[in-house]
Amino acid sequence: MTATASRAPSPPVALLRRPQIASLVILLLVLVGFGLASPTFYSPRNVGNMLAFMPELGLIALGMCLLLTAGEFDLSVGAVFGFVPCVVFILAQGGTMGIGAAILVGTALALAIGLVNGLLVVKIGISSFLVTLATMLMVRGAALYVTQGFPLDSWRAPSTVVTLLAGSFEIGGLRVYASLIWFAALTLLAAYILNLSKLGNWISAIGSNRAAAVARGVPVDAVKIGLFMAVSALAALAGLISAFRISNASPVAGTNYELEVIAMVVVGGTALTGGYGTILGTIVGVMLLRAIRNGIIMIGVPGLAYTIFVGGIILVMLIVHAALRRAGGQG
Amino acid sequence: MTPVLEVENLSKSFGNVQALRSASLSVAPGEVVALLGDNGAGKSTLIKCISGVHRPDAGLIRIDGRTVAIRTPREAIDAGIETIHQDSSLAADLSIARNLFLGREPTRLSWLGALAPMDRGAMQASARTLLARVGIRRALAPATPVSALSGGERQSIAISRAMQFAARLIILDEPTNNLGVEETRGVLRFIREMREGGHSLLVITHNVHHVLAVADRFVVMRRGEVVAEGAVAGSDVLGIESLIMGVDLKAGAEA
Ligand SMILES: Nc1ncnc2c1ncn2[C@@H]1O[C@H](COP(=O)(O)OP(=O)(O)OP(=O)(O)O)[C@@H](O)[C@H]1O
Ligand SMILES: [Mg+2]
Repeated sequence: MTATASRAPSPPVALLRRPQIASLVILLLVLVGFGLASPTFYSPRNVGNMLAFMPELGLIALGMCLLLTAGEFDLSVGAVFGFVPCVVFILAQGGTMGIGAAILVGTALALAIGLVNGLLVVKIGISSFLVTLATMLMVRGAALYVTQGFPLDSWRAPSTVVTLLAGSFEIGGLRVYASLIWFAALTLLAAYILNLSKLGNWISAIGSNRAAAVARGVPVDAVKIGLFMAVSALAALAGLISAFRISNASPVAGTNYELEVIAMVVVGGTALTGGYGTILGTIVGVMLLRAIRNGIIMIGVPGLAYTIFVGGIILVMLIVHAALRRAGGQG
Repeated sequence: MTPVLEVENLSKSFGNVQALRSASLSVAPGEVVALLGDNGAGKSTLIKCISGVHRPDAGLIRIDGRTVAIRTPREAIDAGIETIHQDSSLAADLSIARNLFLGREPTRLSWLGALAPMDRGAMQASARTLLARVGIRRALAPATPVSALSGGERQSIAISRAMQFAARLIILDEPTNNLGVEETRGVLRFIREMREGGHSLLVITHNVHHVLAVADRFVVMRRGEVVAEGAVAGSDVLGIESLIMGVDLKAGAEA
């Protein structure tokens, strides 16, 4: 046993042990499976629908992946997703400012929420789970308060910013939203940062061994605060894209998104405890959960039962990752 | 000769635990000083004040005769002090190469600041050279994650990081802890080589035999204070152990 266990695994086996590759294989199986089980899974309508939803949680997942890699959480993203569009709609509809200025104010608010999260975590030393649990309640409460609990009047005034965020065009019967381009660009940026840049080395080191990063002179606090701000800004961007797409802002939009986003990131192979993150895996996680949400309904599982499957597949993926880790793979 | 490092009356408390009470010591150029003392004596706290991890409550630190304020680990590194901490100074999830350059990654397009791309070719190449220099027997690729290494191999990586930046003063906190015979020998050889290369070293250890083998001078701490110091030449194991424990072991042994 020792002889075989200590020998370095051959390249394909080593590759399969990387958690993101294992997740990718499972995603492909799921996509093939749904394709076989439901003839309409690959219809332009369903593909277009999945591609429209994907960026919204996906954008948040990119930021969450970096934050988890650095060893922190953010539970307030779903609330920011709902709150910022409400503020932007109220400001723009009240006639006090144009939509562009309102978006700037909304983004500044999101950055401020991230800053507060970050400062409380690094300077006071409260766990990010608790800090962001509290700010989640405050931000969600603020959204309910400023809207008095009702969805806002729909927004249909055409403008360049709105087109840039939520415009769409058609290619061969497939509706493609501008958000997909944003998502693709930010995915490349996040992958570059995590894998190739100096900052990425700092992020992984902080999550792996904070004391070691501190001792090497890495600006640990600044990096963490910056990540909290980035995640918050991405949640606001996702919320705005969603609100403009459906021309509606609701104070309860994004409820439970924080958990779904964390599930996507972790299902992709990023370590919940920090130190190891993968953007490829995150994209796989985003696609997997989206495909399962749509696919399960299309193959005829009753709508009310599908959450059971979503929870089940998350559990299966986590078991696969844990087994890979025990087998000596990267984790 | 002006000492490389002079520490004067350093004090540090954590709540109501006074970890350092007016501790002073100095390290001359090219000198190896062993810092001794029982568990909890304040040795790690002292070197953490020197390496910028803790801020002392009172006292002075001079480097090459100039008083310096070391407020962060970065400032200590920039002042030429490399520290290998007791509680692993490596990030286990990162590769050897990424650990070697952590905090000082060589980059291209450095105007991009923290977003600059790491020069991975240069990192891999220097990592390979360093691994050969510290004499790790096993062929290790620079891309190997540190989590796949033994304790001794990790220690060697931490040491090679100190070598690579050719610091004025290298501080080692219990570098031979948990190491096997061969690896311990490697660490002691490294200390001698660094000394021959003109570097100064401050080494914390519990092993008096190692002190006799590589140090020029020893400093003994007890309950936050420096209680004794002396030249290694002319000292013996029992004498130094008596100083650490604060009792006269020789008298006991003879009785
Ligand atoms: N961060 C901290 N917070 C609170 N107390 C601390 C802290 N670091 C050290 N101490 C306390 O200060 C005292 C000195 O600790 P220190 O780590 O300097 O001892 P040491 O001489 O290095 O011991 P050892 O040989 O066991 O490593 C101990 O009583 C310890 O409990
Ligand atoms: Mg110690």
